[in-house]
Amino acid sequence: MAHNNIKILPGATVCEDCTLEGDITIGGGTVIHPRVTIIAEGGPIIIAEYCIIEEYSTIIHKKSDKQENPPKPLFIGAHNVFEVGCRLEAPCGHIGESNVFECRSFVGVDIKIGSGCVIGAACHLTAPQTLIDNTVIWGSEHHIREALEKQPSQLLQLDFLSKVMPNYHRLRKPNVHKRQPSRQSQDSSPKP
Amino acid sequence: MAYLTQPDYVKYICSCGQLKPITSLYFCRHCLKIRCGFCICHEVDSHYCANCLENMPSSEARLKKNRCSSCFDCPSCFHTLSTRATLAQPRQAAQDAAAGGDTKVENKQPKKMYYLSCFNCRWTSRDVGIPDQPVASGGWPERTNPFTTRMNQLLDYYKAIAQQEKQEKLERERKKFAIRGKYITLTDKTGLTGAMARNIAGLPSSDGGSSSAIANFVASQASEDVDELPEDIYTKEVNLKQITSMAQRLASPEWQPATVSRLHPLAKLLSVKRSQRCRACDHNLTKPEYNPGSIKFKIELLAYYHVPEVKVISFETIKPGEKSALLIKLTNPTGHEMQVRLLQPEDLPQPEEREEPKSIEKSLEKSLNLEKEPLPETVPDKPSGVRVPASSRVCPPSMTLSLPQRDDAAEYDDDAHHDTDDVILWRKSNKIALRLEVVTESTVASGVPANALLALEYSYRNTVPPPPTAGGTLAGTTPAPRDHTLYTTVLLDLGVVSG
Repeated sequence: MAHNNIKILPGATVCEDCTLEGDITIGGGTVIHPRVTIIAEGGPIIIAEYCIIEEYSTIIHKKSDKQENPPKPLFIGAHNVFEVGCRLEAPCGHIGESNVFECRSFVGVDIKIGSGCVIGAACHLTAPQTLIDNTVIWGSEHHIREALEKQPSQLLQLDFLSKVMPNYHRLRKPNVHKRQPSRQSQDSSPKP
Repeated sequence: MAYLTQPDYVKYICSCGQLKPITSLYFCRHCLKIRCGFCICHEVDSHYCANCLENMPSSEARLKKNRCSSCFDCPSCFHTLSTRATLAQPRQAAQDAAAGGDTKVENKQPKKMYYLSCFNCRWTSRDVGIPDQPVASGGWPERTNPFTTRMNQLLDYYKAIAQQEKQEKLERERKKFAIRGKYITLTDKTGLTGAMARNIAGLPSSDGGSSSAIANFVASQASEDVDELPEDIYTKEVNLKQITSMAQRLASPEWQPATVSRLHPLAKLLSVKRSQRCRACDHNLTKPEYNPGSIKFKIELLAYYHVPEVKVISFETIKPGEKSALLIKLTNPTGHEMQVRLLQPEDLPQPEEREEPKSIEKSLEKSLNLEKEPLPETVPDKPSGVRVPASSRVCPPSMTLSLPQRDDAAEYDDDAHHDTDDVILWRKSNKIALRLEVVTESTVASGVPANALLALEYSYRNTVPPPPTAGGTLAGTTPAPRDHTLYTTVLLDLGVVSG
């Protein structure tokens, strides 16, 4: 992927010290910490609003052999939390809303994730599978249980981060403005 | 950290014959012997909750079934539950609407409500329909045990039995020492005992205490009729997420929930603070501070603070019939200079007879008897441990090494001793590194674990004030030599014998 096409919507907090490659759209209200790696080599990555992506987490849209043309985007829903050091690899897929990827968790290719799921700390998902809504995976033995309701949203934390982050880090400036005729208005309806 | 995460390369032979790393050994300053967890008395000092650090007397702890009343464990993953607060406006409104809607006006302010949540598996008390509580701690609904009456019956029954047995024992004791009268009693003459007389008369077998609890007790009956399995047991698809695991069921034995929706927070089990006591001399080896928040000890006689520590630095691969070099480090943990001599395990003097005064020996006969039962993984030969199977022999140098006392400030000094020779590799404050040779017999098969025994003779200055000699009970130790020569044997793990 030679050219980078990073779209940052207003309201997003994206630190400068992170690796963003390929066609990436970052929704408003999302906070991306320093040292994050997001690589869109197999197709665009669209991150919706109010996500938190913490330090050393990696999101890769992998290239695959049977790729459609034009490549399907990797869509990551709103209110997802990617904790420190987690890794998400998906050739094409859809991540729902309000999921939590805990520290050092790993989600391999061919895994579909619904909404309200929790991938516990250091849990590795490698086999192809579909996580239905509100699945919680935890522990070294990968216990699975189903939660009754979605994980509570991290709005307070988001507020705090977007206030504090500019004091200590250089940020990338939002480069897409509210009224743009192009396609990202349908992609991730930015909130002013 | 190395002690926690690494295998035990160096094991000491305890005075009871067990092999243990130095960190799990104690040193009795009064018997001057190494003790381990198997040959000391463990006593419970106090009960406390590990989460809220509340202290509890043992009677109260027993009453509460050794559980904390305010802390809970997750029934799903057994992690401690945390209390979380929410503002519960809508819930309240809905309830009010159901109740009739009169109080709606008062409850306009959002109210803080609390629920329990697990940070590990994200279980919440809401998952199983436990209503949120208006107070942060306590007030959680308690489920009643469906078998309370039966449990109480059983408890009463066994209490009564215990009572009766105690009574009988007392009686027997009394009878044994009762002075026979001059005159032959009727029962003696006829061979009729009290119990038999009662039996003949049709009275209950023993008098008084055998309460109604024993008489009225009905033993459980096993029954053959059990509920039929549901029709769809073989056809219904199993959803493992809805079914509890064995561990989850056994964590609450009263209910043994079969489905996840019946899981209930588990009251946290209390922890205890233990103190340890030497069985031979009854002195405390460790005594923790009473405060549950403190991890310090009032008395802490650990071998780590009194016995020279041996660490393996490195060694050449052990080959049958060959000599290999072995580098070890000795550390003097005490505040006094220590003379150390390395010996062959056979050269150790046979441990002299126990010099403890007989009176104490007698009083502790019972507890010492416990020690004599076969214990797992003991060294077959008693304390000297000569017969520990070792594949190799260490050739000890015939010199006495002097180890300076421990000095925390010494690491800031930079004048190192330079009396190094072909045995002493280096010296650094209270540590010394030695280069030794290990000889392996040619008969040792390759692939078996290689190990070597090393005996240490070390001088130990006893800082315990000499016991008062009144009564002369400590006959053998009247001059109270302050400096002692002690022996210990260590087993070094040297990998595997290579071919």
